[in-house]
Amino acid sequence: MSTVMLAISEKMAQWLSTTPSWLQNAPEGIQNIFYQLYQTWIMNDNWHYFTDGLKVTILATLGALVIGVVIGVLIAVIRSAHDSSRKKPPVALRILNALSKLYLTVVRGTPMIVQLLIMCFVVMVPRGQEELLRCATITFGLNSGAYVAEIIRSGIQSIDQGQMEAGRSLGFNYGQTMRYIIIPQAIKNILPALGNELITLLKETSVATVIGLNDLTKGAQIIVSTNYTTLVSYISLAAIYLVLVLALTKLLSIFERRMKNSDR
Amino acid sequence: MKVNRKWIAALVIGAMVFGAGCSSSTEETSTESAAQTQEETTEEAAEEEVQEEVAENDTTSEEVAAENVTLEEGMLIMSTNATFPPYEYYDGDTIVGIDADVAAAIADKMGLTLQINDMEFDSALAAVQTGQADMVMAGVTVTPEREENMDFTNSYATGVQVVIVPEDSDITSIDDLQGKLIGVQQGTTGDIYCSDTPENGGYGEENVQKFSSGPLAVEALKNGQVDCVVIDNEPAKAYVEANPGLKILDTEFAVEDYAIGVAKGNDALLDALNNALEELESDGTLDKIIGEYIHE
Amino acid sequence: MTGEVMIEVKNLEKYYNGGKIKALDGISTTIHKGEVVVVIGPSGSGKSTFLRCLNLLEEPTGGQVIFEGVDITDEKVDINVHRQKMGMVFQHFNLFPHMTILKNMTIAPMKLQKKSEQEATELAMRLLKRVGLEDRANAYPAQLSGGQKQRIAIVRALCMQPEVMLFDEPTSALDPEMVGEVLEVMKQLAQENMTMVVVTHEMGFAKEVASRVMFLDSGKVVEDATPKEIFSHPKSDRLKSFLAKVL
Repeated sequence: MSTVMLAISEKMAQWLSTTPSWLQNAPEGIQNIFYQLYQTWIMNDNWHYFTDGLKVTILATLGALVIGVVIGVLIAVIRSAHDSSRKKPPVALRILNALSKLYLTVVRGTPMIVQLLIMCFVVMVPRGQEELLRCATITFGLNSGAYVAEIIRSGIQSIDQGQMEAGRSLGFNYGQTMRYIIIPQAIKNILPALGNELITLLKETSVATVIGLNDLTKGAQIIVSTNYTTLVSYISLAAIYLVLVLALTKLLSIFERRMKNSDR
Repeated sequence: MKVNRKWIAALVIGAMVFGAGCSSSTEETSTESAAQTQEETTEEAAEEEVQEEVAENDTTSEEVAAENVTLEEGMLIMSTNATFPPYEYYDGDTIVGIDADVAAAIADKMGLTLQINDMEFDSALAAVQTGQADMVMAGVTVTPEREENMDFTNSYATGVQVVIVPEDSDITSIDDLQGKLIGVQQGTTGDIYCSDTPENGGYGEENVQKFSSGPLAVEALKNGQVDCVVIDNEPAKAYVEANPGLKILDTEFAVEDYAIGVAKGNDALLDALNNALEELESDGTLDKIIGEYIHE
Repeated sequence: MTGEVMIEVKNLEKYYNGGKIKALDGISTTIHKGEVVVVIGPSGSGKSTFLRCLNLLEEPTGGQVIFEGVDITDEKVDINVHRQKMGMVFQHFNLFPHMTILKNMTIAPMKLQKKSEQEATELAMRLLKRVGLEDRANAYPAQLSGGQKQRIAIVRALCMQPEVMLFDEPTSALDPEMVGEVLEVMKQLAQENMTMVVVTHEMGFAKEVASRVMFLDSGKVVEDATPKEIFSHPKSDRLKSFLAKVL
């Protein structure tokens, strides 16, 4: 046992000898943290787990957002048209509305991770990382669609009823009023919430590790399971997510300010 | 009281199943060098994790006085990943298996009360480094990388890594694994071996799919999402028995020793554990426990 | 009365809560071309509901609204076509905040009457000049005062060249000093023989401009006569007590 211990100390000592003198004279605790940083990022080119994983995380997030917005708009339009129908809505619309409601109930009523497990192991059974990414993206998109639909619906509902009445009184039909008057105003209320959804999505994609997707979180897990540098690996992981979220938040606030300025 | 505990345990298990993907991130609260410290309080950890009291505090135990070598006085906290039959798995609400029984016997020898915390495999290893558990027993194989961050006792059991394939698979020996999609449990030695570069005897990261538990990897195998699963022999037998249409290749993938992992530098605990293991081996307890679970 | 029939209202009913609340309880009247009908009454009398039923913003529970000979309460009728000929002005202006004043005025003629941008803009500018706001064409609604907003709302409706204009308490949300400028525009319109139905609390306007005043109470027409008769010789006690409060 002691020989093994020695060998390890040698390994760390060997690494230490390549470092600047201030670190060589630093307390052992500091040296340890730096050695963990070295093990986490540099040794065996481990950083590529983070960069490769980051690519997968970003692809899954953006793909899911696109799917989510498409589904969200469709559902919101179906639901709003159904609810604002003057007469009894046609059968097709009523069926679509019922399906939309079912979708919203199921997606919002079950945990993300369960949806992912079902999509992966029962519905899509993906093979290989490429198919896994597709499966995860579709699942996150389906999940996000339900939330985006409600974001859009509440954005539409936030517009004063008088706007709809003014549009209709000029002779616009329901669809035209939506298109020219309600939606352009609603978008200002929708975009910030959509931005939050994007941030939520980015963080939520980390649950795809359970189906074996090599995303950012998985990258850190792999490093931990080879080096056992738990502390530094997971804090590095958290830092990467945090930087991403902060960058997104900043972008969104710039975007929002632009939107507001266009009004004045 | 007992009933309440069981309910809480059941709830926590449920929560952990749902939150499996993120549970491993709870360890980052430590602000000190994880590999060195073990004075972190275990209170939060103990509350969060499933608690199982397997052994009662037996003060009549003969030798090996536990002079406060553990995190909590009178307690021996073990972290594990209870999806690994027959080493550790749930029988009802209780974690049982070779590791659980050996741990109970060790605790008995040391005059301590055993508490088992169930978590994911990676987290179970990390828990001893971050001071959330005294020891990890989860069919842990000793590897150089692991030794760099934790200390290990002498081996108490031998594990064999095998390959599970569908009965009609064209993989007939481990020589056929090249270029196939291999399923593993994240962080296990099977994962480490297979993920290594071909020059080092592995199959390359891109050919290995890492699942958070063995059963998920086997499920993926059944679905055709992977071509084979490399995993420890004993759980493999249990999985194959439970899933018709799967078989274990005759050739072994690797043979390795299981040991108990403790925080690096905790020699007092390490010695105490080694002494206890030695006694258990010489009085035949170890063989008896293994024989209970593994019938050749 | 002069001119041909513009709107004929037959036994109009509007019930809420399955008939428990009767907002309109059988209203019948005829509005001729060129008439200025002012609808007065206490709050909750159903006067706004009556006005909103005329272009079906409010769906009547029973009765008919016949506009230029077409029963627009018939479900088979495309109400959107007929609404183009019925301009409406709201208490809260309801300008489109995301569009310039000019765009507010031109969007409907361009999209619905297929006018060219030039044509629509020319008409809009002519109307803006009439209300003295041509210099605000490129402003946004948020930059205007309440009185200006309401004048814009009136000319926005006029851009569709409607046959009749409906006013739903157009001065109620205005600061007192701005009421005059809006009433002035409405007076001008009346002098140009625009058919108008006006729900208002401005009794002065009713006396001066109305060709006919309808007094509604509890969803019924209580009195329907010339302003002179209504204000000088009220017959019913309800109208008398109403006038005593507002004059």
